[in-house]
Amino acid sequence: MQPPAEHVHWLFATGFLILGLCLLAEAVVGTEVWRRRAWRAYLWPGLAFTLGLFMWPVMVFFTSSTLHMLAHGAWAEVLMLAGAVELALVRGKLQSRWWSLATSAAFVISGAAFFVHEQNAWLYQRSAFLHHALGWTMLGAAVFPLARSFRPRSQAALAGFALTFVLVAVFLYSDRDTASIFGHISPQAGAPHR
Amino acid sequence: MRRLLLLGGLAALALPAPAFAHATLEQTSPGFRARVETSPRVVTFKFDQYVVALPGSVQLFSATGPISVRRVWTNRRLLEASLPRLHKGAYTVRWHAMSGDGHVVWGVFTFGVRARAPAPTEAYGASGPTRTEDVVRWLYFLSLALLVGGLGFRLLVARRPLPRRFYVVTAIGAAATLNVGIAAFILRSEDALQLPFGRLLYGDLTPIARTRFGTAFIVMTLGFALVTGLLFLSWVSDREALLWPAFLLGLAFASGLSLSGHSAADRGSSWKSELADWAHLSAACLWIGGLVQLVAVVWPLLPELRRAAFLAFSRLATVCVGVLLLAGTYLSVLRLPRLSDLWTSGYGHILLVKIGLVALALAWGGLHRVLAVPAAERGGLLPRLRASLVGESMVGMTVLLVAAILVNAKPPG
Repeated sequence: MQPPAEHVHWLFATGFLILGLCLLAEAVVGTEVWRRRAWRAYLWPGLAFTLGLFMWPVMVFFTSSTLHMLAHGAWAEVLMLAGAVELALVRGKLQSRWWSLATSAAFVISGAAFFVHEQNAWLYQRSAFLHHALGWTMLGAAVFPLARSFRPRSQAALAGFALTFVLVAVFLYSDRDTASIFGHISPQAGAPHR
Repeated sequence: MRRLLLLGGLAALALPAPAFAHATLEQTSPGFRARVETSPRVVTFKFDQYVVALPGSVQLFSATGPISVRRVWTNRRLLEASLPRLHKGAYTVRWHAMSGDGHVVWGVFTFGVRARAPAPTEAYGASGPTRTEDVVRWLYFLSLALLVGGLGFRLLVARRPLPRRFYVVTAIGAAATLNVGIAAFILRSEDALQLPFGRLLYGDLTPIARTRFGTAFIVMTLGFALVTGLLFLSWVSDREALLWPAFLLGLAFASGLSLSGHSAADRGSSWKSELADWAHLSAACLWIGGLVQLVAVVWPLLPELRRAAFLAFSRLATVCVGVLLLAGTYLSVLRLPRLSDLWTSGYGHILLVKIGLVALALAWGGLHRVLAVPAAERGGLLPRLRASLVGESMVGMTVLLVAAILVNAKPPG
């Protein structure tokens, strides 16, 4: 028995919210203060890596279409990759700051996955709107890790990076399996769940 | 080199192009692979969105060919078709419908009237594994060898920390195991659904996920994702003890192939055949993956370890070859009860090619045992030994290719 897709989205929203809040706290107090406790440096990359691991069950259990399956597979891999690279950078296993570009690339791939994932127009129903919004958010937000590759101490880039995850969490919390968006739902989409 | 690997990894991740939001099939009547006692008058599909029927939306096939469906209609989220009276036997239903967003979704399911329903992978029209599937299966074996064999080499042969290249090689194996596994599942689904790739993107894979093959895919994907996580954590935290659970889990999840293949499903299969198949596969992975580590990591980067590693690997390889031969012989006898099957059946022909290649690999390894091991025990190493080890591993990989073709072939009877 599978849980409704919206429940799975809410669980991931919680993960992204914690991740975003950790990053936001780091942006507010500054990286130096944030990392006075060594474990805090591992917090967000570790969480990203774990979210990537948890995306695999979503990929293998929700097989209603090939595209749906492949989209979640791509998200699982980029989350694990971005988390792994950042963990290795914090740990000192990787030295070159250009490795941060992996996170940027992960954002671009995730955004592209959302665009291909959603074939309907923005106002078809709520999930269509959210998929488009998430796609553009991820694509636009790719600039933040890119900026951090060039200016690792930029607080603005870190804050933008953090707020991206908070926004992603808000979008995911707003998801319902079939629901209207701004009072609009296509008659083709079926009956709203609530 | 690292940048190249990063680019390669990202390109591989970009390959699976994602999507969704079309009608999803929630329920059918008769159900997936259901056995019904009386001929159903109507076949019903319930979707989560409104759907529109298209010409030929519902096609029915018996084991011998198509059966005309009387009438197809839709009622909001329901697609229905009235059926003629069906006799005892297995039936395949291929369906497609236009979902609300204008995209056509596709699928297949099977049911039986007073008979067992076949798996969707054996539905009417499914032609069985193709050459592409043979190649994908081979790549899967190679990936497993890099991952499980690499870990086995580090823990059973080297027994000391190895340079970063060890992690690079095993990580390539881990990533490839996950991605090649996905490719294998989609290829099998493509055959079951009988759809070109463009349409397959909107195909419902749930019936295939419910087969023995699909269950193995699910369990192995989850298992190897976990193994990948452990491998990474071991590297990043310098806790090499984590390699043990990664290795043992890798070995355990490799059994998914044995539990979903001929050794589990064919005539005469039992827990003994499943165990033999798993032992056969594990021994091959340890042997070939170990050779790769010896050639790619120890020889170029750890000259001081060459002799000890070669001797220790030689002992492990002897055990692996023994297990390979015992398990392989048992499985061959099980699948080919008559000796004449070897030269009268297609399966037998492939097995003969495999036996020939295994004999070559054994002779190669035997030469190492007779010439190189005594020299190493005396404190020296034969010149050009690395090139010879490369040759042995190449023959081993070719054996895996033939094994992949053999696994996808149907044994006689």
